[in-house]
Amino acid sequence: MNSQLQATQISKIWQRGMARRQFLKWGLGGVAAVTAVAAGSFALLRRSPRDEIAPPDWATGLSASEYHLFEHARAVLLPVEGTNLIDSSTVPVVQNVQQILDYLDAPTRKELGAGLSLFDNVVVFSHGCRFVDLEPGKARELFDRWGEGSVLQRTLTTVIKQLVYSGYWQEPATWPPTEFDGPVSEKWGLAYLGNAPLPQQPSLESGQEQA
Amino acid sequence: MNQVKLQPSGLQVHQASDVTESHLALEADVVVVGSGAGGAVSAYELARQGKRVIVLEAGPYVPSQAFTEDFTESLHTLYQDQGGQANSSGDLLVLQGACVGGSTVVNGCVCFRTPDFILEDWQRDFGLSELTAEELAPYFDEVEQNLSVHDNGEHEIARHGQVIRQGANKLGWSVKPLRRNIRQCGLTGHCLSGCKTERKQSMLVTYLPWAQAYGAKIYADTRVEKILTVDGEASGVEAVVTRQDGSVVATMTVKAPRVVLAAGAVQTPVLLQKSGLANRSGQVGKNFACHPSLLVAGRYPQPIHPWRGAMLGVHVDEFMHPDKGGFVLEDGGFGLVEMTMLAEPGTGKPFMDYMADARYLAGLVTLIHDHNVGAIEWDGERKAINYQLSDADFPSMKRAIKAAARLHLASGASEVYVPASDKRVIRSEADIDEQVDSLENQPQHLRMVSYHPQGTCHMGADPDTSVVKANGETHDVPGLYVADASLLPTSIIVNPQITVYALATRIARHMS
Repeated sequence: MNSQLQATQISKIWQRGMARRQFLKWGLGGVAAVTAVAAGSFALLRRSPRDEIAPPDWATGLSASEYHLFEHARAVLLPVEGTNLIDSSTVPVVQNVQQILDYLDAPTRKELGAGLSLFDNVVVFSHGCRFVDLEPGKARELFDRWGEGSVLQRTLTTVIKQLVYSGYWQEPATWPPTEFDGPVSEKWGLAYLGNAPLPQQPSLESGQEQA
Repeated sequence: MNQVKLQPSGLQVHQASDVTESHLALEADVVVVGSGAGGAVSAYELARQGKRVIVLEAGPYVPSQAFTEDFTESLHTLYQDQGGQANSSGDLLVLQGACVGGSTVVNGCVCFRTPDFILEDWQRDFGLSELTAEELAPYFDEVEQNLSVHDNGEHEIARHGQVIRQGANKLGWSVKPLRRNIRQCGLTGHCLSGCKTERKQSMLVTYLPWAQAYGAKIYADTRVEKILTVDGEASGVEAVVTRQDGSVVATMTVKAPRVVLAAGAVQTPVLLQKSGLANRSGQVGKNFACHPSLLVAGRYPQPIHPWRGAMLGVHVDEFMHPDKGGFVLEDGGFGLVEMTMLAEPGTGKPFMDYMADARYLAGLVTLIHDHNVGAIEWDGERKAINYQLSDADFPSMKRAIKAAARLHLASGASEVYVPASDKRVIRSEADIDEQVDSLENQPQHLRMVSYHPQGTCHMGADPDTSVVKANGETHDVPGLYVADASLLPTSIIVNPQITVYALATRIARHMS
């Protein structure tokens, strides 16, 4: 299928989906259905300079386009200018996202992959470039607008945001500026209380004893 | 009878790493599926009666000392589907423990008895005439005593609870300390990651070691695949022992004339559906409710540090009765990762500013009395939680959000964040109706979490319309019992752990 034909087909599906407000099923299941109809390989709908950049060696659980998508989302979603927060480029955000995705079962992971691909590519119709090439200000506007959009748009933006946010804020390095204490029991030297004593049961038989 | 020997700490658990054979064939008087609230209590009660009890838990055994107090890591190690269990549309996270001790390991310790008006509904609408407040009171008394349930002391009401209480008092709303099952709370705020120093009186440090003291045997990493019957009566289970990656180490059969299902309101109906049992009524998996809850955050002028102190301190019960709204508000602490799931103050800088000011936030958990409109389905490969907030319940949800906003404002908050997918911030009473009334009951609009799945094998007197009798035995299969939150015919508004403990105790004591 050539690029133009793909574009037309995806655009039609997208428009139809937007009109109905839901596809075959809500959420990522619907995303999978749409991408299946679109014959899959539309990641190359519009080339990006980032396609030439190989992902790092550790990114074995992400496709190259997924890696670039999350790396761009990290920069877009986690600006620290004007705060004392830690620069997200110094935190393994995308590595953590990859780890979370590793926990997904295969069918869900496949559906999510389809959804991410759709998110990256469908922006071509509104902005003339893929998400990974969208200027940060425009990308933020896109997230905000989609947060008010259809079920599918809300699903994709929520999933991407949650993954990136978790990937950043789970790192202990990000905690001190917020005064978040993190784990405290060992730091405070709290004693282990062990198992609770057996209840006093009147029906305990004679001869039984508690060790 | 053997000596009763209680380990001072930890449990003796058979784990996948202990298995050296390809098939394990075991026998018992009772096999209990699941080691959470219902399973642990059943195991203890039955072992204490002198029965040979085997407990099979699909999740791993994680001793308290191994808890990390890191929520993200805990989701992956202690929760069902590594914390990713959700409804079909993905807008409702259904958080359940999946480890030895089940959800009792990762809950917030909150203890409520079943409200009397709920029991009256059950008597009237489901023929459960014997489940009266008077009948259940001794069971509640006993489990509360066993689990050190008490009203939070003043030191257990953290700063977020204190400000909320002040606001409720200002509004003239009924506000009370929560009751919790905990001894000498360490005030770490890490309840949802398990209580590292064994203060939460979860099943991990109470009924399971007690059951073991009476001879019960516990197998972790063991997922039951099928319930076995002979001549229509329960005769045991088939299971697989799996490694952490899901690969099978061994198969297992347990022969037992009594099978108690206590795998929780999602897994128990799945197991019955896989086994093709106990479903004459067609109700197995139906009737799912879950108290879809929201965490409504408010920003205060003074530091709150919502992660410091006991996670849950007080609750507003002013609106608990369905005639008054049918919802409960509980003050709730949280950490940074949880915060990212709460609000949508705007993408980029607004969000990072919101997070940078995390210490100024306090949270209110809303619990609503939802209708039992969902279903758990097994398609042969995957389970599905088919649940959307019903249009009948959406007004309750909006009333709860409005009340939470009003309470935050009365407590001194300058901003209240509606937990929706779009940016909704309330800064004054005048904003409340506008920001809440325009919410739509659409998938992915509200950021909901459920900690209380229930109702999927519900009790009732009529075998044509219910799955289980009041004594916990299924109508269709003698010897097959259910003893978890699947039993509950309607949602109960409040945190259900005490209800499950009490019902499981009663079921075990009535078992022939």
